[in-house]
Amino acid sequence: MANARALDRRRRSVRNIRKITRTMELIATARFKKAMDRSVAARDYTEQLAKILKNIAAVGGDLSHPLLISRPTQRSAVLVLTGNRGLCGGYNSNAVRQAVGLLGQWSSDKTKTHVTVSGKRGINALKFRGITVDEEHFDFEDKPAFSEVAPIGESYLKSYIEGDIDRLDVVYTKFVNIGKQEAVSETLLPLQTPTDEDASVSPVGHLASEEYDFYPSAESILEEILPASFQSRLFKCFLDSAVSEQVARMVAMKGATENASGIIKDLSRRYNRARQSQITGEIMEILGGVEALKK
Amino acid sequence: MATTSSQKLIRCVIVTPEQTVLDTKATAVLLPLDDGSRGIASGHAPFIGRLGAGEVKLLGVAGGNGGETTIRTFIDGGFTEVGNNEVTVITQHASDSGSIDPVEAKAELAQLCKQKAVGDEQINVLLSAESTARARLRAAQKNKK
Repeated sequence: MANARALDRRRRSVRNIRKITRTMELIATARFKKAMDRSVAARDYTEQLAKILKNIAAVGGDLSHPLLISRPTQRSAVLVLTGNRGLCGGYNSNAVRQAVGLLGQWSSDKTKTHVTVSGKRGINALKFRGITVDEEHFDFEDKPAFSEVAPIGESYLKSYIEGDIDRLDVVYTKFVNIGKQEAVSETLLPLQTPTDEDASVSPVGHLASEEYDFYPSAESILEEILPASFQSRLFKCFLDSAVSEQVARMVAMKGATENASGIIKDLSRRYNRARQSQITGEIMEILGGVEALKK
Repeated sequence: MATTSSQKLIRCVIVTPEQTVLDTKATAVLLPLDDGSRGIASGHAPFIGRLGAGEVKLLGVAGGNGGETTIRTFIDGGFTEVGNNEVTVITQHASDSGSIDPVEAKAELAQLCKQKAVGDEQINVLLSAESTARARLRAAQKNKK
């Protein structure tokens, strides 16, 4: 028979754990809302850029820019975005698994890779799997700032133009909707031509491209706008990751809280039973004692 | 809106990667294009242009008590799209000109002027940083007057 006091102690500790997971769930919910707002606020910029790009594409005919030219991949760069903290379900491990798959592919092709990882969890997991991490970032939490992401993007742009890398893939957790986030790898460099993407941007309410004048010229605008477009996409990856992490933590902690409630219920039942049987035993002992005294 | 209702207004939107900084209507918008500033009023012909560092000035924005105010926002480069009676400014950084400290801006410029650059690329970077700092200082001083 289980010891009633030991069961009670366990129940108390599970209760404390439930309090913690419940709080973490609430915090994650609040952070998720904030991260989501930021992500929505950032959407305008991307849409406006896409609109201008589309107009230039329609006018300029063929677009040619070093960032659009795809070269045979000899050296590739991979950026993996994970969280600094755990307790968020499969969020980190999914991203790491995706990254390992991609890196395995590159290494079997004998392609040199430069690996950059953001987030303690991802860094440790990849190192554990024997992958050399060339660059580490720790300072991206739930609120990535554009001013922090921009230098990373700039260094990628520089090395792409100088030919140090031929391709850049970003492994991150894409936020599809609140019920679905998936770890994906996306190729950011070479940039896809604006014509075959962003078809979703509706041209309703906008003028035909022929009507636009360009100052100083379409080419010069393109030269500036492509890096900006790359930066905004990279930033979007960071924002998506931040949102997904909070959602994952929210869901994981909700599950943990529910599980703790179930365990408490079970422990309570066992505790009551043990207590009852203890009382019964004691009564039996007293009765036995009384019987013995009578003799 | 009482005073502005007779005038035609143009909508002005300023977006940065992080948020939409401004979305309001004004009688005219002054844009710092790459090669000099340009004024846009309602019904301007559509164009797409490259912006330099400087102030975006919105004239005749309806104020709180029926009056009109001017909004000045400092941006460092970017693009603009004008058309459909709408001005969209796309920039990486935008800040209220009033929030720039002239003393700080001056110190920044002085520090940049001291720096030395070697090679074409570095020189270009430094020059553009200097011109941004100059535009910042100008915006800060103008706002102070």
